[in-house]
Amino acid sequence: MRFTRLRRLVTSRRVWLTIGLLVMLALVLLLQQRSDDSPPESFAGLGEETETFARAEPSHQLRFPDDHGPHPNYRIEWWYLTANLHDTQGEPLGIQWTLFRQALASPNDETAGDNGDSPWTTDQLWMAHAALSTPDSHWLDERFARGKPAPDQQGQAGVEAQPFAAWLDNWQLRSRAPNGDGLDALTVSARGIDDDSTFGYRLDLTAEGPLVLHGDNGFSQKTADGQGSFYYSQPFYRVEGQVEIDGEIRNVSGQAWLDREWSSQIMGPTQQGWDWFSLHLNDGHKLMAFRMRGGGDDGEDYLSGSWISPDGDVTDLANDTIELIPTEHSSVAKREIPTQWQLRLPGQDLDVTVEARNPERWMDTVFPYWEGDVTVEGSHSGVGYLEMTGY
Amino acid sequence: MSLAAYRTALLTLLSHYRRHPGQLVMLLVGLWVASALWSGVQAINASARDSYARAEALFSQQLDRIERRDGQPLRYEDFLTLRRDGAPVSPMVEGEVELADGTRLPVLGIDPLTLPEGGGLGAAQASETLLRFLRPPYRTRVAPETLATLSAEPGATPTLASGGTMPPLATDRTLPPELAVMDIAAAVVLLEASGPSHLVIAPEATLSLPDEWIRHSADNLTAPGQLTDSFHLNLTAMGLLALVVGLFIVHAALSLTLEQRLGLMRTLRALGLPGRPLVALLATELLILGLVGAMAGIASGVWLAQWLLPDVAASLQALYGERLGDELSLPWYYWAGGLTVTLGGLLTAGASSLWHAARLDILAMGRSQAWHGRFQRQLTGMAVAGGLLWLLAIGLGGWLHQLPPRAGLTLGFTMIAAALLGSALWLPPLLASLLAVLARTLRHRPLAQWAFADVNLQLPRLSVAMMALLIALSANLGVSSMVDGFRLTFLDWLDQRLVADLYLRPPADRYEAVADWLRERDGIDALLPTRDSETRLIDTPMQSTAQPVGLYGVTPHPRLRERWPLLDAISNDPWPAFQQGAVMINEQLALSSALSPGETLTLRTPQGPRAFQVAAVYADYGNPRGEVMLTTERLIERFQAPPGSIGLVLPPGRATDISALRDELSQHFGISRDSLIDQATLKQQSRTIFERTFAITRALNGLTLGVAGIALLTSLLAQAPQRRRQLAPLWAQGVSRRRLTGIGLCQLGGTALITACLAVPLGLALAWSLVAKINVAAFGWRLPLHVFPEHIATTLVLAVAVTLLAALLPAWRLWRLPPGHLLREFDAS
Amino acid sequence: MLELCDVSKSYATPQGPLSVLAGISLRLPAGDSLALMGESGCGKSTLLHLAAGLDVPDSGRVILAGQALDTLSESRRSALRRHRLGLVFQAFHLVPSLSVSDNLRLQARLADREDSAWTDELLGRLGLIGMRDRYPEQLSGGQQQRLAIGRALAVRPDLLLADEPTGNLDERSADEVLTLLLALVADSGCALLMVTHSPRVAAPLNHCLRLSHGQLMEATP
Repeated sequence: MRFTRLRRLVTSRRVWLTIGLLVMLALVLLLQQRSDDSPPESFAGLGEETETFARAEPSHQLRFPDDHGPHPNYRIEWWYLTANLHDTQGEPLGIQWTLFRQALASPNDETAGDNGDSPWTTDQLWMAHAALSTPDSHWLDERFARGKPAPDQQGQAGVEAQPFAAWLDNWQLRSRAPNGDGLDALTVSARGIDDDSTFGYRLDLTAEGPLVLHGDNGFSQKTADGQGSFYYSQPFYRVEGQVEIDGEIRNVSGQAWLDREWSSQIMGPTQQGWDWFSLHLNDGHKLMAFRMRGGGDDGEDYLSGSWISPDGDVTDLANDTIELIPTEHSSVAKREIPTQWQLRLPGQDLDVTVEARNPERWMDTVFPYWEGDVTVEGSHSGVGYLEMTGY
Repeated sequence: MSLAAYRTALLTLLSHYRRHPGQLVMLLVGLWVASALWSGVQAINASARDSYARAEALFSQQLDRIERRDGQPLRYEDFLTLRRDGAPVSPMVEGEVELADGTRLPVLGIDPLTLPEGGGLGAAQASETLLRFLRPPYRTRVAPETLATLSAEPGATPTLASGGTMPPLATDRTLPPELAVMDIAAAVVLLEASGPSHLVIAPEATLSLPDEWIRHSADNLTAPGQLTDSFHLNLTAMGLLALVVGLFIVHAALSLTLEQRLGLMRTLRALGLPGRPLVALLATELLILGLVGAMAGIASGVWLAQWLLPDVAASLQALYGERLGDELSLPWYYWAGGLTVTLGGLLTAGASSLWHAARLDILAMGRSQAWHGRFQRQLTGMAVAGGLLWLLAIGLGGWLHQLPPRAGLTLGFTMIAAALLGSALWLPPLLASLLAVLARTLRHRPLAQWAFADVNLQLPRLSVAMMALLIALSANLGVSSMVDGFRLTFLDWLDQRLVADLYLRPPADRYEAVADWLRERDGIDALLPTRDSETRLIDTPMQSTAQPVGLYGVTPHPRLRERWPLLDAISNDPWPAFQQGAVMINEQLALSSALSPGETLTLRTPQGPRAFQVAAVYADYGNPRGEVMLTTERLIERFQAPPGSIGLVLPPGRATDISALRDELSQHFGISRDSLIDQATLKQQSRTIFERTFAITRALNGLTLGVAGIALLTSLLAQAPQRRRQLAPLWAQGVSRRRLTGIGLCQLGGTALITACLAVPLGLALAWSLVAKINVAAFGWRLPLHVFPEHIATTLVLAVAVTLLAALLPAWRLWRLPPGHLLREFDAS
Repeated sequence: MLELCDVSKSYATPQGPLSVLAGISLRLPAGDSLALMGESGCGKSTLLHLAAGLDVPDSGRVILAGQALDTLSESRRSALRRHRLGLVFQAFHLVPSLSVSDNLRLQARLADREDSAWTDELLGRLGLIGMRDRYPEQLSGGQQQRLAIGRALAVRPDLLLADEPTGNLDERSADEVLTLLLALVADSGCALLMVTHSPRVAAPLNHCLRLSHGQLMEATP
């Protein structure tokens, strides 16, 4: 008897009409939400097209020490240092010091206007990341600065080629030796705050090998259709220095790798990101390998790398001579990130497992990515750094 | 029962209004008016709160400021040095631009790349927005309200008075109104600044600064929401008052319609409509009426708020420096809140009607109402309830007394509300007993006896309207006493504080030059430089943490010494002690930290904590903070205060050419003519601000009185048929209609007079609690109580006038009634 | 149709409880008519209220249309009253703000039994056709009572309860109304229980009972 009323309600047309209206309203609101979400972009906008900037091309001679400095004709550039260290107790530590430059105005931009001399006008955006990792923890700090690339203007951030100095605020990477190649003897220092912890480091880097040019004499191709960058490294640093965490100072030593890269377009507009390895093997060899996801023909991945002998001879590794297979994933910062890889170079009899010491190495910066120290086991052993972007 | 049957029943219930549309109008008007006044006030409050929230969230409010001690502007190199040392500082440049049409717009230049977290970069989303912000032609980010004020579209480039243009406009919903934010590179050019005006740093960041810099803590800046809280609470109180009075009308209308429909409802029940559906239908009717009335009210509320907003905005800007846009920005909770409050109020007003309907006694059909007994019981209930409310009010008053100043504002208002409602509930019993007494004394005069009995008959209906009138009248009296007393005090105080004849605030870099030049110049008797700064008060009897206080430096010229408004002092002449190094404190500080003359207080100085003796307490109306006063020299010596303003004392009698002075200042130092302000202008400006502030209060007060008048009018109109029935027998017995009308007016006038007599002491009590309790709770300082006999007289006259005005229409109708009608009424009863 | 079994009802008065009905029993089959007589104030109306379910007896049962009223919930009792009973009161109790036509159809609409043909016929037989859009206050006493009867019959009740239907009318109108009432009742075949103090009014009905000192007894008008 009671249900008749309910049944009548359920079959009543008016009720369904009202429900229908409400559902439609909800849908409209939902769609509104959706349309506000922008389509996914390539990592940090590095896949955007550029016409006005210079293009990285092969058959270009790199000259040092000039090319240690900034190249404002190219849109993006970085000075990228990673170090695998250990303290007096043998505990492994990882260090990162990076200075990014992004041009805000193209080279032929005339809109500087009347106040081109004002120290505040900017046509470059500088970004610096400093990170320190112990087996259990990870600290990072990020800073930004406006700037001009002109080396004679001592701004908040900048790079000078000779004598080499790169800085943002009081984070520095500078040459200790005024003569000789600019990057042979460096000191790197940074201090940062992460949540309530303070961390810092001051390290002396001494090169025990020559500069290494990747790819075709320094032109490193990144996609199948010819996009690329100018890319050279100094992977042979021996490191001595001190690390400070919340006031506690530790003496450390180890190895470091400095990457220098600049380009105007590293990826195609639809590519998501890359995975990049830099490994110090125990027999003295160094290995650089990267996988541009979606950069190959028909949207396949584009692989490349450099096999570096202890004397500094470089063997350029083409697409088909490298195998990079992610074998294990971890859930980091709500994303699925491969933290264990199988790396094979059949031509060099290399078959190793590269594994992150600790998956929690997410760089929670404005453009976030994963960067952390790794161990190498297998046919060869060693340590290194792994960077994964676009996840 | 089917839906059609319910529809029939509902339509039957509603058909009553077809015959008595006046009652429906009364109901809707009551709802509409109550809702409009409440919503209007809430619209202003909601709009303002939205504005404050944005202002408080503005990054510049939550960060510490770093400036040079000598007040000089900073240079790029200063910023660079600190940054290269690792200090996470960010530059800002502040100023004002004048647009081509004369409006002045504050401008803030920022560097989003170095702002502490949450300030600028994190929300930059696409690098495209950041790119446009950082690169020519730059962007001017403003709140949507500011766009409206400038009558511009996004992308427009407003023209400046100097001829240049501002960067293209872009909307930013998170910004407070009347503020333009742009990149520091653009701002520096626009404001013609030589460098940043100050640096900001996150409060938690530690930094050791060299001596020539000073760091101002962010929490020294009182959040705009805090300052203006009391202002808005005042507005809310007025709105609530209007709402309550309006709801009285609604309650009266509802109980009238219920009573007249009792027969109808009983018939429906007898014909087979169950009890619960009946109550549900009545509730539905209430809901429909409520929605209609609420919509009309909320919409009118917006209109009312628009009307009041310019005055409110001007007051807020003048009193607190807070900028409110000229446009209302109404968040969703304004609409939801208005609807809820109106419907809730309606339900409260109608609850008793619904309850009666639920307990309907079908069998009482045809039997006449035992109204008399019921009303007597109601009177007792009212007296008891009124007594309880008064006890509550007294209890709250005692509790409030124990609280420190600037606390317990809500408590104070609740106390007043309890007292008002308690008195209102006492009115009907008072009227009834007074009438009984009067009836007994005049029982040998038949017409008079009938008149009193007749008033008794009308009492159940009339008393509700009288209660509304009581509340409105006492509120009127209380508030006007407070306002007029405030005005007297304020004007006196202005005369005392404004000692110099002219005032000038030279820019920091030219201060010394200007001061020297003025000293040499003829026609100026004395210079009274003042400076202000801030510091912290350490370890007072009341507080254990360091309390921020303002510092004020004055030059104790004889004219100042004789006029300064001292409230309490260590001796008859505390000035020598003052010149020797003692301090004076303002009333706010004296109350909040329980310091009195003769005691010592400890202040934090750059050289470390230092003790000072308190020589006197002075009145400082309108200052939300505690303040410590020293001589200007001491302030410079101990606290290195930056330059402030200079007061010029002109020789009495001799007319100094002020215009020439302005010209010379403009020529020699580039100081604009308007920068030199004379005392008369200052006083006039202050008075205007004062009047504008209280214009709002007055408007709301007057409206509330109007609402009470409407309550009375509708009540009388609704009763009209019954009245005719009561009067018919007398007319049949030979009393002329003129006499009857006259008696009617006397009845009403007399009742109103009694109400007014109760309203007078209540109003004065209200005035006292406003000046002695509410003001202290809101602002931290007391006002003296002034009683104005003319106000009391006005109250009495107003009461009678409003009542007679309301009675005019029904009386005229009665007068015009053909005698046959009266007879028919008689027959039908 | 209607049965009262040993029903008692008393009221509280300042002088002590007053027993109005003391264990009375009564049966009214379908289609039958019964007049209830007695002095004023002796409880006839009370009996009618109990029969209609408007009041509850202190003891005993009231069975209406085969259902015992004390076993029903309030809404069921209302439904029963709505669908099966017609009520005619002495004081008309029309809704002043509804038109004549709406007043007539009121109970029928509440019971979802509106039959336009039947109500129009009723209006015609009651002589109210020309007044359909007027309001009760514009009708004479006789016309108002006719309207009340029309309202009660519009729902086609099984039982019509009438409480002194001609009490407020002058003699001529009373006769007219009574004739109409009896004719309509005979035509629709419903039972009729009428309370009256006038033997003339009670005469045409089938049965007659007298209520005296709380007891029912047979009577002749």
